[in-house]
Amino acid sequence: MTTLAYTPISEIDAFHAQLDATFRSGKLQSIPFRKYLLLQIGYMLKDNTQEIVDALHKDLGKPDLETHALEIGPMYNEISDTYAHLEEWSKPTKPPFSLLFQPLRRVVYKQGKGVCLIIGPFNYPISMCVGPIISAIAAGNTVMFKPSEATPAMSALFAEMFPKYVDSSVLRVVNGGIAETSKLLELTWGHILFTGSGRVGRVVATAAGKTLSPVTLELGGKTPVFIDPSCDLETTTRRLLWGKVTNSGQTCVAPDYVLVPRHFQETFIEALKKTHDSFYPQGPFAPNAMGKMINEQAFKRVSGLLEKTRGTVVFGGQVDEATKAIAPTVVKDVSFDDPLMSEEIFGPLLPVIPIDTLEEGIAFVNKREYPLTVYVFSTDSTFKAKIIKSTISGSIVMNETLWQAGCDGIPFGGIGPSGTGFHNGKYGFDTFTHFRASLDSPSWVDILLKLRYPPYTATKIKRSGLVFWGLPGKRPTGPPSATAGSRPYKKWIMVFVALVLAGALRKGNLLGVRKLL
Amino acid sequence: MSPPLVYTPLDEIDSVRDDLDATFRSGRVSSIDYRKYLLTQIAYMLRDNTVAIEDALFSDLGKPKFEVHMLEIDLAITEIAIVLKNLSKWAAPEKLAFSLVWSATRRVVYKQGKGVCLIVGPFNYPISVCVRPIVSAIAAGNTVVFKPSESTPAMSALFAEMFPKYIDPGVLRVVNGGVEVMEKLLDMRWAHLVFTGSTRVGRIVSIAAAKTLTPVTMELGGKSPVLIHPSCDMQIAARRILWGKVLNAGQTCIAPDYVLVPKELQAEFVGALKKAHDEFYPDGPLVPGAMGKMVTVEAFKRVAGLLKATQGTIAFGGDADEVAKAIAPTVVVDVPFDDALMSEEIFGPVLPIISVDTLDEGIEFVNKGEHPLAIYVFAKDEQSKKKVISQTQSGAISMNDVVLHAASHELPLSGIGASGSGALYGKYGFDTFTHFRASMDPPNWLDMVLGIRYPPYTERNIKLSSYFCPSIPSRPPP
Repeated sequence: MTTLAYTPISEIDAFHAQLDATFRSGKLQSIPFRKYLLLQIGYMLKDNTQEIVDALHKDLGKPDLETHALEIGPMYNEISDTYAHLEEWSKPTKPPFSLLFQPLRRVVYKQGKGVCLIIGPFNYPISMCVGPIISAIAAGNTVMFKPSEATPAMSALFAEMFPKYVDSSVLRVVNGGIAETSKLLELTWGHILFTGSGRVGRVVATAAGKTLSPVTLELGGKTPVFIDPSCDLETTTRRLLWGKVTNSGQTCVAPDYVLVPRHFQETFIEALKKTHDSFYPQGPFAPNAMGKMINEQAFKRVSGLLEKTRGTVVFGGQVDEATKAIAPTVVKDVSFDDPLMSEEIFGPLLPVIPIDTLEEGIAFVNKREYPLTVYVFSTDSTFKAKIIKSTISGSIVMNETLWQAGCDGIPFGGIGPSGTGFHNGKYGFDTFTHFRASLDSPSWVDILLKLRYPPYTATKIKRSGLVFWGLPGKRPTGPPSATAGSRPYKKWIMVFVALVLAGALRKGNLLGVRKLL
Repeated sequence: MSPPLVYTPLDEIDSVRDDLDATFRSGRVSSIDYRKYLLTQIAYMLRDNTVAIEDALFSDLGKPKFEVHMLEIDLAITEIAIVLKNLSKWAAPEKLAFSLVWSATRRVVYKQGKGVCLIVGPFNYPISVCVRPIVSAIAAGNTVVFKPSESTPAMSALFAEMFPKYIDPGVLRVVNGGVEVMEKLLDMRWAHLVFTGSTRVGRIVSIAAAKTLTPVTMELGGKSPVLIHPSCDMQIAARRILWGKVLNAGQTCIAPDYVLVPKELQAEFVGALKKAHDEFYPDGPLVPGAMGKMVTVEAFKRVAGLLKATQGTIAFGGDADEVAKAIAPTVVVDVPFDDALMSEEIFGPVLPIISVDTLDEGIEFVNKGEHPLAIYVFAKDEQSKKKVISQTQSGAISMNDVVLHAASHELPLSGIGASGSGALYGKYGFDTFTHFRASMDPPNWLDMVLGIRYPPYTERNIKLSSYFCPSIPSRPPP
């Protein structure tokens, strides 16, 4: 068993001060330096791939392919994406043209926020920790990184690896448990990004409120899956089951439970069974076939839910306490108030709830706390559109699971109890960026703007209204009706007029040319 | 005369929120046309009630009519105009650049409302500082509870009377009250909470919001310093700085709080300030309608107290009238770093001037304190400007003028550290209240490539998985 060396609490203040001094030195303002750091992190992962695979196997029983495809791989993607766009993202931006304010040379600088605290979860130590670290550094911050004490092998490896690639005055790894984390939360941070449970999320947010440290929280919830008979069953069950069994169900965006039309339940279950058998020709407990529960407590919690369920176990159900392994288990005819529905499962159990109408399913989902994501398996665009419109969730994914967490160009985040803020790519960069408004007002603008100065005269009051825009549009006679058909016609009239003018101008030109000749 | 301020009964507040939540869930505010209608209504509400607003703000703050127009109503209406112009564009799903790897997933980012948002407004700029976030929240497709300040009873009563005539109370509700009402509101979960006020109360609000996992945007306070460099145009600088200080009798979150001036220029600078002062107030500053008043007797006493305790020398001003809650613009010179005037955000028309030997000394002093909402630099020398930008942190950093950055609608209003978090106004405000909902719809055929992810996990698939990740640029030299 690995014993993780905890950072002495007495050292934490000094580490924080050091990271702050580095930030204030302006070193991180250099884009080439940030790019260098990003590559260093990339090569840290490359050079230590086998050590990472071994550590995650030790801590989570994580199969090699999952480490490659869902941990390390996505980080190369994030590093590439961020590296390629860093100049563009960090460039000062100019606001749109404004007749009045143009001479004031307005600009928005992108600057780092300071020392950022990243508290990582146990389930995806690489992608869910290194991802935000990449964004924080790219945005010009120094970083205090606190990985999970529940993954001692990986967290010890972080403490050993990082200093060899990124100077500790720029990124410091702090290991520890509740006491060390509490100490960290007493300090003031440029930004805190926390990934974990809602319960701890509240503790983090409260501490952050005391120090006025802005937070991003990646929390959890019960992610529902809507099944529509129009779906392609083979692809659906493969993608759905894959989302559930990956990391033994310990994924914040794992499909938690399924809502399926009652008449379709049996067909759906049969297809699931077939897919399951194709995944595990030697059974799910074959070596390296599947991850394990993170610890004894998690194992007991999940197997306890399984014991209490009033649904019918279709397949799976085997558990092995010694190895903390739980087989992928599908339970059908689960009712809305089943024990499996009482909390986020975070394990490889898939409850299937038969529903009579889509409305019933949507109403059930909407009664509960907003989840991190909603999954919809359907080829019917009306079905999809209805769920997009009627539900609220961090993200909403059609016909796939999990990939939204690593996809370029889209944010990864929750809403309400499933989280605040987002990261990934530019969204991550912006999260750790301070948007600093600036302008540079030449002396001569007072020719126009001198009306702002006292003494305040009646003429000035009259003129001030002219300086800004007039009243927008006509006074409405009432709220808009359902059909606002006039607009498209307006557009086509404009196009027609433009064409006519263009034609007339060309004709005019020809005439002009002839005149010259 | 304006009606007295009626506090919303505590036991009504739950049903107020439920109402607004029901409206949100009904999908009514997801219609862009409906949002545009609501925003236009707000613009007309301000125009139709201009005189009532002038009277209310004069009653509450002694706010001169001109300031009510230029810094309150005009700013709010311009915000509405800009938002209306851009709303369809901003609310449209995000267009994503082509990606060889990811475009096949048919990824998209929808812009959706977050839900019922709480906007807690300050006393100093009830119209512009409250209405602008309300506009952003509605534009982004939310319903709103608006809690104006009880320190401005005439204006807050007017809000409660005006808004329902223009906006369906199922979409926006005005809730008035004091500490008890605030505590009740903070016990509830909100889709987003914008708080504008002091840093002290900002902490209390943030801690309360944490219990319900309510995301917050904080627009707080701080001491916004002015750094004077010898290369500046002294007359212009003095006039602009004084202007920023006297607005609303100094009760502006981004007012220039204190000035750091090179020792050898202090006299010239003060002379220029006096000149500007006399131009502003040919009949004196305490003439009715010339200048705003302190919002309450407590505020008056606080600021007058700081002035009394200063170790600096009053260069001009100093007149104060407790009954009228009026303090004349006052410049204090030779103020030491640890003076009473430097112990807290002044939020009054008193301008301390601290002489320093160098710009570096000024920067060092600024950096000792909390990050302010704004730093002002008066300089023509580009190197000096760059130095301050790179060596300090603040919400905004403005060269050769003050306060105006909050009037330019497409710049973010943001704090950092103790001065706040998040950003408001223009697209920044819209994005604050928007839920960016990621989505994708990968076709089946992608599994021809992505199928290697499925169990059983084979060595071959592990090898293949490495081909699907972009390679990173070459290793940096040691």
